[in-house]
Amino acid sequence: MSARIAGRAALLAALAAVWSVAAYFLWRSQVPSSLQLPHVEVRHLFSAAQLRAASSFGRFTTLDWALAELAQLAVFGLYAWRGARFTRESAAGPIGTGMLLGMIGFALVWISQLPFDFAGLWWERRHHLTHVGYVAHAFGNWLALGSQFVFLCLALVIVMGFARLVGGWWWLPAAPLFVGLAALSAFVTPYLLSTHRLQDVQLQAQARVLERTEHVQHTPIVVEPVHDVTELPNAEATGLGPSRRVVLWDTLLDGRFTDRELRVVIAHELGHLERQHLWKDIGWYALLAFPGAFLIARVTRRRGGMGRPEAVPLALLAIVVLDLLALPLQNAISRHMEAEADWEALQATRDPAAATALFKRFVSTTLDEPAPSTWEYLVLENHPTIEQRIAMAEAWRRYATSAAQSP
Amino acid sequence: MDPHPVQLVVEDDLRRSRLTVFFRLLLAIPHIVWLSLWTLLAALLAVVTWLVTLIAGRPPAGLHRFMCAYVRYQVHLSSYLALAANPYPPFDGRKGEYPIDVTLPAPGAQSRWKTLVRLFLAMPALLLASAFGGSGGSRNSGSLVTACAALGWFASLVRGRMPKGLRDAGAYGIGYGAQVLAYLLFVTDRYPNADPTALLAGVERPPEHPVRLVGDAHDVRRSRLTVFFRILLVLPHLYWLVLWSVVAVLVAIANWFVTLARGTPAAPLHRFLSSFVRYRLHVYAFLYLAANPFPGFTGRAGSYPLDLELPAPGRQSRWKTGFRIVLVLPAAIVDAGLGSGLFVAGVLTWFVALVKGSAPWGLRNLMAYALRYDAQVNAYGLLLTDAYPHASPLEGAATRANAFDGAA
Repeated sequence: MSARIAGRAALLAALAAVWSVAAYFLWRSQVPSSLQLPHVEVRHLFSAAQLRAASSFGRFTTLDWALAELAQLAVFGLYAWRGARFTRESAAGPIGTGMLLGMIGFALVWISQLPFDFAGLWWERRHHLTHVGYVAHAFGNWLALGSQFVFLCLALVIVMGFARLVGGWWWLPAAPLFVGLAALSAFVTPYLLSTHRLQDVQLQAQARVLERTEHVQHTPIVVEPVHDVTELPNAEATGLGPSRRVVLWDTLLDGRFTDRELRVVIAHELGHLERQHLWKDIGWYALLAFPGAFLIARVTRRRGGMGRPEAVPLALLAIVVLDLLALPLQNAISRHMEAEADWEALQATRDPAAATALFKRFVSTTLDEPAPSTWEYLVLENHPTIEQRIAMAEAWRRYATSAAQSP
Repeated sequence: MDPHPVQLVVEDDLRRSRLTVFFRLLLAIPHIVWLSLWTLLAALLAVVTWLVTLIAGRPPAGLHRFMCAYVRYQVHLSSYLALAANPYPPFDGRKGEYPIDVTLPAPGAQSRWKTLVRLFLAMPALLLASAFGGSGGSRNSGSLVTACAALGWFASLVRGRMPKGLRDAGAYGIGYGAQVLAYLLFVTDRYPNADPTALLAGVERPPEHPVRLVGDAHDVRRSRLTVFFRILLVLPHLYWLVLWSVVAVLVAIANWFVTLARGTPAAPLHRFLSSFVRYRLHVYAFLYLAANPFPGFTGRAGSYPLDLELPAPGRQSRWKTGFRIVLVLPAAIVDAGLGSGLFVAGVLTWFVALVKGSAPWGLRNLMAYALRYDAQVNAYGLLLTDAYPHASPLEGAATRANAFDGAA
């Protein structure tokens, strides 16, 4: 017995070691480890009114998020307890019935989230951050909702199919398959966006220079029209290999941001591509998918395992709880990569003043809190705070100055 | 349950005069003008009837007689226009003089509450009648009655006879319209019943078709939760059905060549296409709430409460096989006409099932009819049988008790 326990402990230790080594390689960053972020006094950078507005906006959205999470947990909890009874509404065999139970769970959560969605929308409309109507918000995106349902069904087919084939070890073949699907999704997503090429010739030329500087030549810079639905400015690096591109929301190009600031945005997104952050995202997903799937397999054993449809409601609850527990880690990983992209942008543009101006402008355009509370930072912030980003620009300026002065 | 007080009487012998069929629309012009005037008067008197019924609790005899004559005249003229009957109709809506007629109740006590909100209550039935396009409903070009009339026009000109299936389907639409009109005009306060079996109770059944419904006909319980989310829950099935349809078309082409060469479909192809037709029925039955459980993805026989019996591969006429794609078109037109009725019935069932947790028997049987016909069209188009789809709302005369053609 003790040999068995020792064997398991050794296996666990070996797996933990492999996990740690992989995590170490994924965590490596271009940001100098010795870099010390200077203290930034946000009260000197923003007016009291700006800070008050951002704080008030953030308080409501945080409360809305927390209540929505609680509601989601309550619904999934109830569903895990009572949901198995819906097996009688199916004539579709075990896997089909599992799909039905999964979809019912999702549908219930969708309904339970609507009040919080509406509250969030009301708040954003009140602050002139969006123009979307309530009906359009709830029912305007049926395609996306339908796609979620179809993806959920596909996921259940994979999990339940393997569970019926190999029993409790389903997570071993299923996890790599999900990683493959995540990679496929990352590859395909850019082709599904409705975008057009960047029209601004001057900005285009600057982007070409940045691409060369950051060694990501021939990356298309495209514009996504979103002004009909939101006022929020945003940009993203997306795609893998031939599908990779930088997508700028057209709200960035409506005159609120200077060309120098836009240069920083483009350099930041190119930084993501240069540092292979999308691949790293998939790598992190893989590192979390294996233990996550293993834990779900363990949790659902009491319902007969994932081969049985009765286990699906419990599995949904387990996924949501695990996702919530992993949120601080996921946010930390995201913030780490965003900080590296900021650093790459500073290295490429060598314009910390523009970066500082850009980050300051985010407070007035997105109502982002410059320095949120610690728990908000851990649970909700997937980017460095405005305070940290401004501090990084200042740190880069000092770093570059000292590097230039050193013999 | 008592039979509905508005009953359709069908004494038509299917024979048609080619000459009057050819000029039918022109010949009907005086009737259409007369009907317009009559409709104007009926609309005005309906308000008076409404007020009197609201106060007295029953419609006055004189006005009731007028409304009965109007409803009957609508039925006569609609039947004439839709070729559901042959003779030129009388102008006064008299009783018992026309091969397609209705029996109407004597004036009786009516609930004042139902009278007060009659127009509102009649909306769902009007919507359904409109989808059929019979008397009382609008004659939209995509309706069942219009499709049957248009196809019947050609058939009657060629054969001098109206095909029974088209006549029955047209009569059904007209009969349902008459029930709606009678309800709306305070002839009765009994709600219209869309059950085809009940409406065509006295009509002779067609011969048994090799493609027919089987299963648990009395499964009207519906889970409110799965009803509420039905559109979302059916999505994976719709995706799967689209994928399967693409393959089915390719297999059907292969099956066409095989059947043309051998006179019999290839067994594996026949099996595959049978599963496809059955699966399609399961999915649509689930989508439109004609059945309750979430269906399987394989179209396995006996796996669903609303299931399909399909013939084994057998000899088929090579002529019918060669021209199948053309021959199936008329049936596809009727199918499309029925499809709008199916859609409306599905939407109405959604509301009822959410409240009551069960599907209304009449709507459920109407949907079973539409789904059965759709399956027959698919089976014919995909060469599973060379028996032409029968448009009659009545299931074929069976040697055994047929589960889907009885009253609840």
